[in-house]
Amino acid sequence: MNMEKKNNAGAWGAIKSALGTVGFSPLGLVLIVVAAVLPLIPPFNQEHMIRWLIMGAFLAAQSIAFDFTAGYINVVNFGFAAILGLGAYTSAILANTSPVLMVQPGISPWVGIWAGAILAGVVGLGLGWLTLRLRGIFAAVMAWFAGIALMGLVRNLTDLTRGPLGMNPQSLLDTTANLPYYYIIFGMMLVVYIVLRLVTRSSFGLAFKAIGQNIEAARASGINPTKYRVLNFALSSFFAGWLGGFYAHYFGSLTPQTLMHTSKTVEVLALAYIGGRGSMWGGMFVAFPFVFLIEFLRSNLTELPGLHLVIYGVLMVLVMIFYPNGLSGLYEWVVGKIRSARAKDN
Amino acid sequence: MKGKTIKERVSGNWAASIVIISTVALAVVIGLAGNPSQVVNSIVTGGLWALLAVGLALVFGVMNVPHFAHGESFMVGAYVAYFVFSPIHESLQDNPNAFLAAVAPFLAILAAGVVGLVLGVILERLLFYPLRVRTKSGWVMNAFLLTVGISFIMTNGTTLVLGPNFRGIPRYWDVDPLEFLGVRVAVDRIVAFFIAIASIVALWLFLRRTRTGRAIRAVSQDETGAQMMGINLNFIYPLTFALATAMAALSGASLLFMFQAYPTVGLKPLYFAWYVVMMAGLGNVVGAIVGGFVVAVLQTATQQFVGIAWEDVIPTVVMIIVLLIVPSGIFGSEVKGVQEQ
Repeated sequence: MNMEKKNNAGAWGAIKSALGTVGFSPLGLVLIVVAAVLPLIPPFNQEHMIRWLIMGAFLAAQSIAFDFTAGYINVVNFGFAAILGLGAYTSAILANTSPVLMVQPGISPWVGIWAGAILAGVVGLGLGWLTLRLRGIFAAVMAWFAGIALMGLVRNLTDLTRGPLGMNPQSLLDTTANLPYYYIIFGMMLVVYIVLRLVTRSSFGLAFKAIGQNIEAARASGINPTKYRVLNFALSSFFAGWLGGFYAHYFGSLTPQTLMHTSKTVEVLALAYIGGRGSMWGGMFVAFPFVFLIEFLRSNLTELPGLHLVIYGVLMVLVMIFYPNGLSGLYEWVVGKIRSARAKDN
Repeated sequence: MKGKTIKERVSGNWAASIVIISTVALAVVIGLAGNPSQVVNSIVTGGLWALLAVGLALVFGVMNVPHFAHGESFMVGAYVAYFVFSPIHESLQDNPNAFLAAVAPFLAILAAGVVGLVLGVILERLLFYPLRVRTKSGWVMNAFLLTVGISFIMTNGTTLVLGPNFRGIPRYWDVDPLEFLGVRVAVDRIVAFFIAIASIVALWLFLRRTRTGRAIRAVSQDETGAQMMGINLNFIYPLTFALATAMAALSGASLLFMFQAYPTVGLKPLYFAWYVVMMAGLGNVVGAIVGGFVVAVLQTATQQFVGIAWEDVIPTVVMIIVLLIVPSGIFGSEVKGVQEQ
């Protein structure tokens, strides 16, 4: 009996560690499975609910990519939304067939999304290089300036982007159903999470953390801050651009204001912080209930437009002041309590 | 705030010299190529950017808070001025009164300043104080993100309560523009400029000549040392934040005729105030005054030679280039310990 239990624990441990390398705890895996089957179960199988789920997965993926920079190398990329918009616009322009604009390459969105991601990654590389000599707040403001410039560029190059009028890029799929899109963005979210988790589990992750905590000490221990900071920015921006491509070909409407504005970065930042800095899974976990809460408030408080955004902000401020560790901090605290209670029992 | 004069700061500082000389040259080019009224306009806006940036620099220098919600103080000022001025203006339509018509705008702007002071104290006590008590490390970043949250709440809260519509006035004073070296300048602009200059001078005298002002400067130089000398930080911080908020509210109120009042009105002034402080050096109050004019000239030049749509692109790119060459700003950052954070 006892033996069997031990064996069981061994097998269980092996599964756990296998999951751990790709960044999932058993509980996390259960939640992922729940999120995967959710759109098939009533009441979540209604079209508008699936739209909310898509929004949730989109925000979750963004918050992972954002936290990869903010939570690890401790630089808040305030131009994140602008980079995402760059990916979206690149893909939309490549797919364009409308004679209104100067160029009509008509390239398939399936290819364009990757082009957008690569361009965003290259620009992120540049942004990482630009903010290299700067620390903390200086780097954040510099990234913000670059984001403003990028947004202004998109707004002004009307021959390519139609400016503030916005573009209507073609859809990724021929169907009008939302379900296939949900599985696409859900898969993208998992890819972003697993890839970035593998990177942070490797020696890179340690180097990122070291740079984020104390750049001089990191340099003294032989870590090249230039390489790691630029790499981190490039990777985070690559995924931002990739997600931007999905946005373009799913929502089918792009304007600089709704996509690249600073307030969009703030939304992602709020999620990442409420979820817990440096955890990556925190923001992903929070995004889904959060979108439902926000959308529920929005649809039920139509006489009070914008209340949901105020609640968003209040929540963010409260978390920042009273619980800066966010959800992941809370989780670790609970796990720690349970462990110490078990240790006492034994 | 080590008491250097502008001359001392500029001589031997090639970056500052280059920026100032090219700004003056650019202003001359604007004057010669276009119309001289653009030069006057950029001086007027420069004064207001300086007022806004001085508040930003003060908050950063004393409290180490990179204030992202400064534009929302501007917005509050604009709304207060509108809600004070427009009822008076309406009642004046029925029973004209020359004295009241001349004084009403000042009342409105003053009210904005007072509301700014109160708002500053409330925000500091309600949000920054608890954060300061709880934060052990990374204060600058935490404070920055807190101001981001404040900005988000204030913009969306205003939309919720007052709606997204624009509330504006065509002008404060119903009088003809003044002739000024052959250039016609609206009275509103001239008054706004003088309000900005008067506020900056008043702040300067306050910081230099009064005991409380010296205490503020002491805190900005060495917080622990100041505390040991018996300076009460729980008095200095709310005061500093209130002064900065009031200055932003004053500029919002004085520029109501130009910007109008709407929930996101603060964003553009915030950009420009940040350009100014980043270029001049974070926390550098004197640098912020010079920087205000530099940025305003750059902005006017962009409007005139490239087009108004590029107004935020070209100055941003110039700022990025300046920062790449001199990362701590042309006058240097004078803030304790920020480079480490």
